[in-house]
Amino acid sequence: MDAKTQKYDRQLRLWGGNGQEALESAHILLVNASPVGCEVLKNLILPGIGQFTIVDAGTVALHDVGSNFFFDLESVGKSRAEKACEFLSELNEDAKGHWIKNDISTLLKEKPDFLDQFTIVMVSEVTQELATKIAKICWDHGKTTQAKKQISFVWVRTVGLIGAARIVTPEHTIVETHPDSVADLRIDSPFPELDAYWRTFDFDTQDNLEFGHIPYVAILLKFMDQWKKEHNGQTPSTYAEKNQLKALIRSGMRSADDENFEEALSSVLRSCQATVVPSSIKDLFSDPEVENLTAESIDFWVLVKALKEFVADTSKSAGLLPLSGTIPDMKAQTDSYVKLQSIYKAKAKQDAQVVAEITGRVLEKIGRPKNSIAFVDIEAFCKFSAFLKVVRHRSLESEYVEPKTEQIALHLADPDSVFVQYVLLRASDAFYGDHGRYPGENESWEEDVEHLQGNVATLLESWGVDKEAVSPERVHEICRYGMGAIHNIASLMGGVVSQEIIKVITRQYVPMNNTVLFDGAASVTGVFEL
Amino acid sequence: MLTEENIDAKRWDGIYKLLDRSSLIHPDFQPIEEIKDFVKEAKILVIGAGGLGCEILKNLALSGFRDIHVIDMDTIDISNLNRQFLFRRADVGKSKAETAATFVNRRVQGVNVTPHFCKIQDKDEDFYSEFALIICGLDSIEARRWINATLVGMADPESPDTMKPLIDGGTEGFKGQARVILPRMTSCYECSMDMLSKPTGFPLCTIANTPRLPEHCIEWASVLEWPKVHGDRKADTDDPKDIQWLYETALARAKEFNIQGVTYSLTQGVVKNIIPAIASTNAIIAASCCNEALKIATTSAKYLDNYMMYTGNDSVYTYTFQHQRKDDCPVCGQSALKLEFRGDKTLEDFIEYLKEKPDAQLKKPSVAIGGKPLYMPAPKQLEEALRPNLEKTLKELLSSGDEITITDTTLPFSLQIVLTLV
Ligand SMILES: [Zn+2]
Repeated sequence: MDAKTQKYDRQLRLWGGNGQEALESAHILLVNASPVGCEVLKNLILPGIGQFTIVDAGTVALHDVGSNFFFDLESVGKSRAEKACEFLSELNEDAKGHWIKNDISTLLKEKPDFLDQFTIVMVSEVTQELATKIAKICWDHGKTTQAKKQISFVWVRTVGLIGAARIVTPEHTIVETHPDSVADLRIDSPFPELDAYWRTFDFDTQDNLEFGHIPYVAILLKFMDQWKKEHNGQTPSTYAEKNQLKALIRSGMRSADDENFEEALSSVLRSCQATVVPSSIKDLFSDPEVENLTAESIDFWVLVKALKEFVADTSKSAGLLPLSGTIPDMKAQTDSYVKLQSIYKAKAKQDAQVVAEITGRVLEKIGRPKNSIAFVDIEAFCKFSAFLKVVRHRSLESEYVEPKTEQIALHLADPDSVFVQYVLLRASDAFYGDHGRYPGENESWEEDVEHLQGNVATLLESWGVDKEAVSPERVHEICRYGMGAIHNIASLMGGVVSQEIIKVITRQYVPMNNTVLFDGAASVTGVFEL
Repeated sequence: MLTEENIDAKRWDGIYKLLDRSSLIHPDFQPIEEIKDFVKEAKILVIGAGGLGCEILKNLALSGFRDIHVIDMDTIDISNLNRQFLFRRADVGKSKAETAATFVNRRVQGVNVTPHFCKIQDKDEDFYSEFALIICGLDSIEARRWINATLVGMADPESPDTMKPLIDGGTEGFKGQARVILPRMTSCYECSMDMLSKPTGFPLCTIANTPRLPEHCIEWASVLEWPKVHGDRKADTDDPKDIQWLYETALARAKEFNIQGVTYSLTQGVVKNIIPAIASTNAIIAASCCNEALKIATTSAKYLDNYMMYTGNDSVYTYTFQHQRKDDCPVCGQSALKLEFRGDKTLEDFIEYLKEKPDAQLKKPSVAIGGKPLYMPAPKQLEEALRPNLEKTLKELLSSGDEITITDTTLPFSLQIVLTLV
């Protein structure tokens, strides 16, 4: 095992070599070396992100030293970009750090295409106006070039005990969503090889040792077959019917201790449902990306199109998704288990081959070489085909221009919802628009409460929501925080956001959509689609 | 010239706003100067200087705490470097507690982290009683149970100083949890043992006779073949040579049985019981623990009552709830645990049941009744003398309603069970 594999062992067990490769090819921009921004970088540099760049025109002040681990007292007066880059670079020699002592607005005027080089653009300690401007550049970039070259935008901030992060990725497709289990046993509709398999077990003549080792899948298949014969080919669908099937299985036990029968009984509810194409996957079949496939389309959509045609060809697929080919462990003799496993694997391979043939035709149709998607990728796609996921974030601009007022009213109807913090942050932005500073920053902080209350009311009114929905106590509390940075909150949000960025970069697991709020006083989070 | 107070006021601006200003949400909070002094003077103990521990030390130092102690018996391994950010490649082999303390002391001027390079069990109650608050970032259930039992044992409801708040964090992959334990007031670690999943480990008969998974072959190599070939020498799971031997042995068995999937990495994972760990999850959980610590120490906002779970696999999801105390908790409860078991089952069956019970987590339990042992796994002579009892039914050995005592090396206390035979 080489040194790099050793160093990254604990994370490779989560996202594997392909996830690591994606991470190592990524380049993240941090606008402003804020405590939370540097914490996000820390958590990305440690697992080995390829490159990071910090843009910051400022110098280190004392309050930076008290809230950011990547400055010390000696850093005071030096460039924030340079100093943070230096201390962060020490964390991992594999991650290459860059810094630019400049203001992002100036930089973008000088180099309008500056953002094009980044995988992720993350901003913090910026005004709403600047955040919106940068978000729009990233969004437009994704719309005008291939989807493969999207730039994901992240805005993260903390105010006292409050944290908030917004992610904008126009379209994020995921094959490896990491569901708890991908087992697909087809108990209700066994394919011929599987049907032949259970019939090799003679439930009447086997000795007790053999009988106690009949794999539970074979037990389920046998009794499901019997059930179907007794019910005109129907499978049990209601809870009561499934209990009848359980009773039937229980009647086949020789002793109360047959563990394999216990396994069969405890998996009836889960494994004996009708195998169907999940509605989330059917939705993908009718996605405009599938309807309007071109040579520019990403592989994901090409494969969804092939999957759709596979399911439509019932002679080959029986109208079902390709088999995952994975089975759980179960009480069984080695031989019968390995045999069962190979039956599922062979069928999965066969299905993947059919999908591969269809994929070749689809590719040719859109003018791409027919072997331009590797078979291993097609196999993985088939294996996880029931769990594919597409996340589309709304743009930051539309969050402001077309607010989802109905949902907002619902969130605010819940007095315990952390959503109230979103209102307070938005009102603080409006306060900044009025005064050129944030509420509570000065010694005479309580004088800001009334004005901020006015900003809250205006905002609520613009949504058509009850003006009383945010209590004066809460408005007072955010003025108490006075835009202060508290390291614990920066660190927590740094953890949350880096986790989301890792999911975006590796295209594994499912990122949130699209705003996460944390209230450190109540120790709760909430995710809202804004 | 800036005075020290001046520097402090600017440096801790964010926290001091919280401490200097009253709150309408937390009306009980009194912003008095003594609170800032308390933060500077309070002795805080961090248990574990690993993935969570490194984060916790950083967070406490940047919360303004100055008298911080850290205890860890481990040395730095190369596989720690992807998250334990106070360590560098050149530190591999050094004490985690000492290296972490040196780093934080250098970076955060004014803080004094004191390292203890030893086991938590090496310290006595006098040591633990010096601290205002204890934060735990451990990956071992056994160590957690020990510190929990010790702190609950020290707590005397009559004298508030003896009640040491214990804040406990844990992570696995993209998931984790943070909780606040106030000994004898809230549920304790032991109260929640049933939330743990069943101990992993495979039945011996599967490993020996009917392997199906690559893991079964690896367990066979390490549990059955290794002692046969190497005698009393235990496999050193940190030695690549030993892992290589286990891997090759497991691979050969897998080939024989047509089982696929034995790899070096999986072998290492199974024999070392490796739990995936990443920087970001540690950051979330450690920060949550330290946020609670600062709130408890300053009363500036309500603290967590008493459990927060975090899951990042699918979107971001947290569940914050009050975990309930258990009346029959063997550590903080008032009454003995009651169990029903079939009287026609053997003592061996009962012991197997205890081993599989997730809230017991026993490895080699001893069973006694009224001070008289029924079975003990060691020493050898005693084990041999008591072994015939394993075959006997419970009916033969005791009567229904008897109170039995379970002890185990993994257990920092003895478990009293009132056993009803059915
Ligand atoms: Zn308890």
